[in-house]
Amino acid sequence: MRSLWCLLGIVCLLAACAPQPVRTKVTVRGDARASAVPHALVVDFRDGTPASEVAERARRWGLPLRLNSVEGVRSGIAIAEGVDDVDAALSRIRGDAEVEEAEPLVQMEALAFTPNDPEFPKQWNLRMIHMPEAWERSRGKGVVVAVIDTGIAYEDRGDFVRVPDLAGARFADGYDFVNDTEHPNDDNGHGTHVAGTIAQRTNNGVGVAGVAFEARLMPLKVLDRSGIGNSADIADAIRWAADHGAKVLNLSLGGPGYSAVMERAVAYARQKGAVVVCAAGNAGIGQVSYPAAYAGAVAVGAVGPDGKLAPYSSWGEALDLIAPGGNTRLGPGNGILQATIDRADFRKPVLAEYQGTSMATPHVAGVAALLFAAGARTPDEVEKSLFAGAESEGAWTPKAGHGRLDARGALEALGKGAAPVDWAPLIWSAALLGLLLLSLKVKVRPGYLNVLLNPATLLPLLLSTVGLWFLKLLWQRFVGHPPAAAEVLSLPIPDWERILFGRGRLASPLMYSALVPGLAALFAVRWRALRPVVAGLALGFAGFLLYAAWAKAPGIAYLPFTFLARPWLVVNGIVAALVCRSMLRREARR
Amino acid sequence: MKVRGTVEFRDVEMGVWVLVAEDGRTYQITGGRSSLLKEGQRVEIDGDVDDGAMGIAMVGPILKVRSHRVV
Repeated sequence: MRSLWCLLGIVCLLAACAPQPVRTKVTVRGDARASAVPHALVVDFRDGTPASEVAERARRWGLPLRLNSVEGVRSGIAIAEGVDDVDAALSRIRGDAEVEEAEPLVQMEALAFTPNDPEFPKQWNLRMIHMPEAWERSRGKGVVVAVIDTGIAYEDRGDFVRVPDLAGARFADGYDFVNDTEHPNDDNGHGTHVAGTIAQRTNNGVGVAGVAFEARLMPLKVLDRSGIGNSADIADAIRWAADHGAKVLNLSLGGPGYSAVMERAVAYARQKGAVVVCAAGNAGIGQVSYPAAYAGAVAVGAVGPDGKLAPYSSWGEALDLIAPGGNTRLGPGNGILQATIDRADFRKPVLAEYQGTSMATPHVAGVAALLFAAGARTPDEVEKSLFAGAESEGAWTPKAGHGRLDARGALEALGKGAAPVDWAPLIWSAALLGLLLLSLKVKVRPGYLNVLLNPATLLPLLLSTVGLWFLKLLWQRFVGHPPAAAEVLSLPIPDWERILFGRGRLASPLMYSALVPGLAALFAVRWRALRPVVAGLALGFAGFLLYAAWAKAPGIAYLPFTFLARPWLVVNGIVAALVCRSMLRREARR
Repeated sequence: MKVRGTVEFRDVEMGVWVLVAEDGRTYQITGGRSSLLKEGQRVEIDGDVDDGAMGIAMVGPILKVRSHRVV
């Protein structure tokens, strides 16, 4: 009995050691750059040390010590500059009874870039996604971003004008698919506004700023003067962009109609290594429009300055991120301000404030360009950083996706390299194994650790809890872009379906259930040799599902109510555990 | 096809005129005479939904107006 309690204790300990799920992201970020000032030190005297005492010690130590400020009389903080040997002086000072602390003087410098564009203070949207800090790390240098839209006001040609705040911005050759010319100028104003959010000329003392202002814009006109186009032109433009070196495609457009041609074009671009960012739609309904809803696209919803989903923004199962798109119902100044041309007269440059998921989309496209410039190599890597860096209150939700875009967070997430493997499901499985073994009578118990020493059990256990996580990393290091099979095997089995049929959204209730181990168990009835394999598989599923329930992640598709996800996971986890138990027991009887 | 509903202006993107149909669906209006575009006007539109069309407004299917009458 005592050993039973001991084991239970160990099991509880293991469960307690499991990494906590991230519910609210608590981040401590280095917003300041610190560097030691040469030949200078700071001394913190005991509070209330009189100035005369400080002067007396300055003489004794031979240091030009002075109180730092008027506050120094109370705080006791004094500094000395022009000290020859700071280390030697510090060791002398530190022995003194009146001194609380002494250290080298450090220069703090805010790690943020504030551009001089006069209207930048009105761009709440750029502050919301932490652009000033992100610009210190990346400005999207050289990354080609295709703006598949109404064109861009990028050249003075005939009736067309270049918007002054795009003078000096970099452009890649584009195409006008509406009029079949090589001059995709804007006759609507929408495309120019969107392009401005991505790469408005910044820190030029004119107008406003843009997210990735060292990126190159590729203007592709697919929408006519009224902002309408057809799926053939759009699909053509998507392939054209991918074939001509665009790494990011911005599609601030959409419609309710599914098009297989366009879906294949999106898949083609992604396979060519481009991130396809699309607007979720402005119908304000629980259904994301196309092309955002295609599996290969990043679907972006809009929030106002209050951070809440804007009333017009669509949302739903396909939503990936939310980003600032404005909410003019909150009054003037709450839209997205960017340089463009007048909607009534395309020869007239203006600064205009619009709202829409079209305005939210280029924020994400711009940050994707920052990520590519900062070293991301694949769309997968960019998307993972975007999602991992987003500000969220936990798991994916249909109204916020993976959370609100955060440029600084995304760059930090990229810096962390490949997403760390979540070992928690494996730890839960191990704890569960202890419990299951204890629940078996000694006669039918197969032992303890030796269960895990059997590769036939261990391999399926690893596959169903953490996957062959090293496979993809090795592939990326030594071979290059990993094929789909390597991507799939790198994930735990319950997540395989999400790679094959769509990423990061709701999990399938078939894969996130006891179905796979249950079916495997049926085969094990006939073929006894399979039992250790099924035991490992079922144990892995049980640990994975129960951990998922505890961590409140992810949502499960096709359930009539969201709250049913956790009971579903718990029940299936228990069923999988029972399958494992029966496999272990029968093995022992043999 | 014929659709009955109310004409509204929506301030999204560059601004868009929509028809909120009696069955609750929202259509983006294109074409037609300028007399159609009056806020709150109840109309019956004769036109076609263009399934292959997409655009910047993203408020619903695009309805190409042939003619309309005020009801």
